[in-house]
Amino acid sequence: MVDLPSPTQPGTIDAIAPESARRVRLRRFKELAAKVLSNPATVLGFVIIFAMLFMAIFAPWLVAPNVPDPYQMPRDWAATRMPPGTPGHPLGTTNEGGDVFYGVVWGTRMSLQLSLIVVFSTVVIGSIIGSLAAYFGGKVDEFLMRVVDVFLSIPELIFALAIAAILGPSFGNIMFALIVVFWVKYARIMRARVIQIKGSEYIDAARIIGDSNINIYLRDILPNSFTPVMVQATLDMGNVVLIAATLSFIGLGQAGIAEWGVLVSEGQAGIASGRWWASTFPGLMIFLWALAFNLVGDGLRDALDPRTEGR
Amino acid sequence: MQLRDYIIRRLIILPFLIIGVSIIVFSLTRIGGSPIGIYLSHEMTPDEVAQIEARFHLDKSLPVQYFYWARGVLQGDFGWSGVSVAPVSEVFPKKLAATMELSVAAGFVAVTLGVWLGTFSGARRNKPADHVTRIVAVSGASMPNFWFAIILLIVFWAELGWAPIGRATADLYAMVPQRTGLYTIDSLLAGNLAAFADALWHLILPAITLGYGATAIIARMMRSSLVEELQQDYVDAARAKGLAERLVLKKHARRNALIPTVTVIGLTFGFLLQGTVAIEIIFRWPGLGKWMADSVLRGDQATLMTYVLFTSVLFLFVNLIVDIVYANLDRRVELGK
Repeated sequence: MVDLPSPTQPGTIDAIAPESARRVRLRRFKELAAKVLSNPATVLGFVIIFAMLFMAIFAPWLVAPNVPDPYQMPRDWAATRMPPGTPGHPLGTTNEGGDVFYGVVWGTRMSLQLSLIVVFSTVVIGSIIGSLAAYFGGKVDEFLMRVVDVFLSIPELIFALAIAAILGPSFGNIMFALIVVFWVKYARIMRARVIQIKGSEYIDAARIIGDSNINIYLRDILPNSFTPVMVQATLDMGNVVLIAATLSFIGLGQAGIAEWGVLVSEGQAGIASGRWWASTFPGLMIFLWALAFNLVGDGLRDALDPRTEGR
Repeated sequence: MQLRDYIIRRLIILPFLIIGVSIIVFSLTRIGGSPIGIYLSHEMTPDEVAQIEARFHLDKSLPVQYFYWARGVLQGDFGWSGVSVAPVSEVFPKKLAATMELSVAAGFVAVTLGVWLGTFSGARRNKPADHVTRIVAVSGASMPNFWFAIILLIVFWAELGWAPIGRATADLYAMVPQRTGLYTIDSLLAGNLAAFADALWHLILPAITLGYGATAIIARMMRSSLVEELQQDYVDAARAKGLAERLVLKKHARRNALIPTVTVIGLTFGFLLQGTVAIEIIFRWPGLGKWMADSVLRGDQATLMTYVLFTSVLFLFVNLIVDIVYANLDRRVELGK
């Protein structure tokens, strides 16, 4: 005979509930994965992301790191302005003898650092503020959401540009500017989600069995807010690199670092004399990076949105 | 909530948002310290410095300084542009005209391309052509526009020598009297066809570069609303009465799918405006974006802040109009949420 737990037996709910919840989540995850991977465009996005991660992780084995600072472009003054295919410089060199291939490879690490730090910080800051607004409601909510509205009124790139301009050109300042600009969307998403979940039956149930507020928040509300935040975070992984590169290009980056935007900007001077490679390859990397995360983010959004079911 | 109440509510909130933005802009200028530096020289005595401080109210507390600054802005005094060596308010309209000309041309490219791509894609849902079109459209949104501009310049300017850089050929531009500040319109008003051709010739490449980015947003909306329309009963009815599939698409579905797409076109406006910064640098287009970039590099705060304030206010108004139009078109939208 199969041992079915009787609801009157004390202690069984604790033993059963987490297991089945995990199973439900696993099943949902599998369904989602199947749906996401049925879209060839999304699969292409994943392939590019994995290739980029591979480059970032194995960068020191692909090109020997520059000493002492691997994020600084190496200078080979004996080989300036070399075209692609030159021995030792497969993608050519810049005006100052920087190896374009080096910039392309080590730039993946710069972009990965940048996007992870910015997206992680903004998700945390935005989630805290959004949750606080939803939790307290009333005047706190009203005030925080008006602040969010004001932040959203200024176009992203212009806002980041203004902040970075005031702070002065550096990679760190670009990162800081992006964090200031990007947290607001997460605050909005989190607030909406928490308000929605707060009113649902299983939260009432959790209250009845005596869960503390913080427990309810960590075990029920946070995991259930995960999906919309994840979609936005995926899209932002690409957006952040794109905007950072634009700021670098405008002149707010640090000259000489292995960052794609800076490299495109420095290579621009050579195009009149036919040296197309110094801008082309680093720019291609920015494009592929943003494309990959946009494709995956779009794919996730479509897969999660019940309105686009079967489209 | 009634539509009228919704509009009134939004209009009431609007000034507060503008004040909020202006506080952020003002705070940004003060993070870099007092702006008194631009008025000082080495020969000045401490007394003279104090006089200047008093004259521009820089000796007062920050809220009081904000008040004086905001009063100046409301009276049209945006400060002195170090980059242009002229008052900001004097240079601004000329730069704005150049940027508007570029943005409208880019918007035209984006709408034409976006609606076409969206229709093409939506009519071939989940077929290979659909996936390819989607990738082409998403590429537009993912492409660093400054890089795309450089690639086009490498091909059409450096290699082939077909495309020009800048806004106009100097001799032709000098012949056209400036009435609107829009080179295309002014040349037509003057009846100077050579100048008009020159204007278009200079406009094409930057407009394509800028417009391609916004194409994705429009194509995406067009595709999904077309897919939705194609599932409606009236489409089946049109097919049942024997109408050719091409006509069902053109006369019925596409027409209805255009309605929600129109609202998205408003949203791409912000995208285009931001995009002009990098595009204008590369094509040496004498508009707001180039002006902004020059100000950033030379620490010209007055110009920078005017630009931020202006784009934000414009953005707010455009968004408001888009929301109202959208609410009008689609009664299912829950207002005030």
